[in-house]
Amino acid sequence: MKRSAADATLDPAALPAAPPARRRRAPASWSLRIGAGLLLFYAGVALLSLVWTPYDPLAPGMGDGYLPPSREFLLGTDRLGADILSRLMAGARYDLGITLVAVAIALSIGSALGTIAGYFGGVVDTVISRLVEVFQAFPGLLFAMLIVQAVGPGVPNIILVLSFIGIPDYLRLARAEIRSRRAWPYAEAARMVGNTPWLVAFRHLLPNSAGPLLAFTSINAAFVALVTASLGFLGLGLDPNTPEWGSMIARGQDGVMTGEWWVSFFPGLAILGLTGAFYLLGDALSDLTDPRRRR
Amino acid sequence: MTVPLLRVDGLGGAFRRRDGGLTPVLHDVSFALQPGCITAVVGETGSGKSLTALTILGLQPSAFVRRSGRILFAGQDLLALPPSAMRAVRGRRISMVFQDARAALNPVFSVGAQLADVHRLQHGGSARAAWDAAVEALRRVRIPEAERRARQYPHEFSGGMAQRAMIAMAALVCTPALLILDEPTTGLDVTIQSDIMELIVELCRDRGLTACLITHDLGVVAESCEEVVVMNAGRVVETGTTEAIFTRPQQPYTRRLLAASRLDAAAA
Repeated sequence: MKRSAADATLDPAALPAAPPARRRRAPASWSLRIGAGLLLFYAGVALLSLVWTPYDPLAPGMGDGYLPPSREFLLGTDRLGADILSRLMAGARYDLGITLVAVAIALSIGSALGTIAGYFGGVVDTVISRLVEVFQAFPGLLFAMLIVQAVGPGVPNIILVLSFIGIPDYLRLARAEIRSRRAWPYAEAARMVGNTPWLVAFRHLLPNSAGPLLAFTSINAAFVALVTASLGFLGLGLDPNTPEWGSMIARGQDGVMTGEWWVSFFPGLAILGLTGAFYLLGDALSDLTDPRRRR
Repeated sequence: MTVPLLRVDGLGGAFRRRDGGLTPVLHDVSFALQPGCITAVVGETGSGKSLTALTILGLQPSAFVRRSGRILFAGQDLLALPPSAMRAVRGRRISMVFQDARAALNPVFSVGAQLADVHRLQHGGSARAAWDAAVEALRRVRIPEAERRARQYPHEFSGGMAQRAMIAMAALVCTPALLILDEPTTGLDVTIQSDIMELIVELCRDRGLTACLITHDLGVVAESCEEVVVMNAGRVVETGTTEAIFTRPQQPYTRRLLAASRLDAAAA
């Protein structure tokens, strides 16, 4: 019988050079800092707009129409004389809120169904996969427009529509991920110790797919933010006076031709910042969820 | 002869091919595992050793179609058990150590968390107690600095350390009556191999475990096992005590196997 000291010398990883036990800290990469910072900023503005905006974002005639940015109206006013800064702030509630809720719903339902289809296979898989293919035959934005027309306007309906068109992508990704892992030795080991199939699929395999799923979520969130703004721009789903960024751009369209650029420019910038933040954050998140890539 | 803990009785089956036909892989496989003994199942790759072991646990690949036989464990036919009853046997009564321990550990959870998870699954109790049990099990398989190692992830473990952790999971956190080891030392350095085998033998002795060691390393068999089952091409060729098999092999295949491994030993 060997002593444990002799054992230790056999394994280079156990040599005394090992640093003292310390809890691993996530590295803060630049994309994480900027992405998270921007999102926090947007969230902060959305919250702040609940209690304070410079002017009433819904009321026209705060000043004259088409006032350029000035001390009084920092980002100018639109055709109806509403303060653009106030409307931008209130708009963060709509664009960020709709995007986050819709993405969260699509991620949960899509990856749950995809996990079931991928792990159990068989008839369940066939039914789920064929259904999804039917829905994927339509382009996302077109599909969203059709359903919004069908179910009527309102924030809850828009959220439902956007999450609905997101589900197939999450489902297919989760299904492929789980399928590729269900025969791996650690899945076998999880079954070997007596886990139920549901536990193996959701607690042992799904966490391994967190990186790809989160990375996709970020890209999808950027897309959903764009679709939200597009629906607003087209005047679908929300009251035209809603301070949603897409509809604000639409309201400023005439002005762009005659030199009143700020009416459309600032909402556009807000959308750009939001989608950019999602891209940056997703990039960083996919690294963080993989223990092998943490340093 | 005492009543065996596990008896594989006339197990036969085939793989279903893509074209729907069947490729027979197991033919009337029968052997018994005596309680408290370490029994080796030896044979070349593809002889059906691992498939038989996985079938004992009910984890055979879905393409495998069983056509005959029973697997009696403590008097119960495992093949007749419903899935829920089979899950209660897995881990609790029979557990298994896999060949590639680093792949059998889940890459996104720390090693300690995985052991603790198994502990809670089988014994319940608080998360704290489960963690302590996990660390204790790692210490018991002589992983240095168990406390720190428990917080590390599988990719930070060497192959030998990972196999120790796997053994801790299968034999200590799980408290089985029967432990199946599927080529537990394949792919490890020779020195680590003997350490791992010593550990396995020691744990089996301490806990009165019955073990089934699947291997093609006859050197390991000679050192550690009491009984030997020789398999070839899906059939049991010969069974007997280690001494009998090594000194008085009856079958030509067994003799060839022994001769080949001696050549190996001479070359190494």
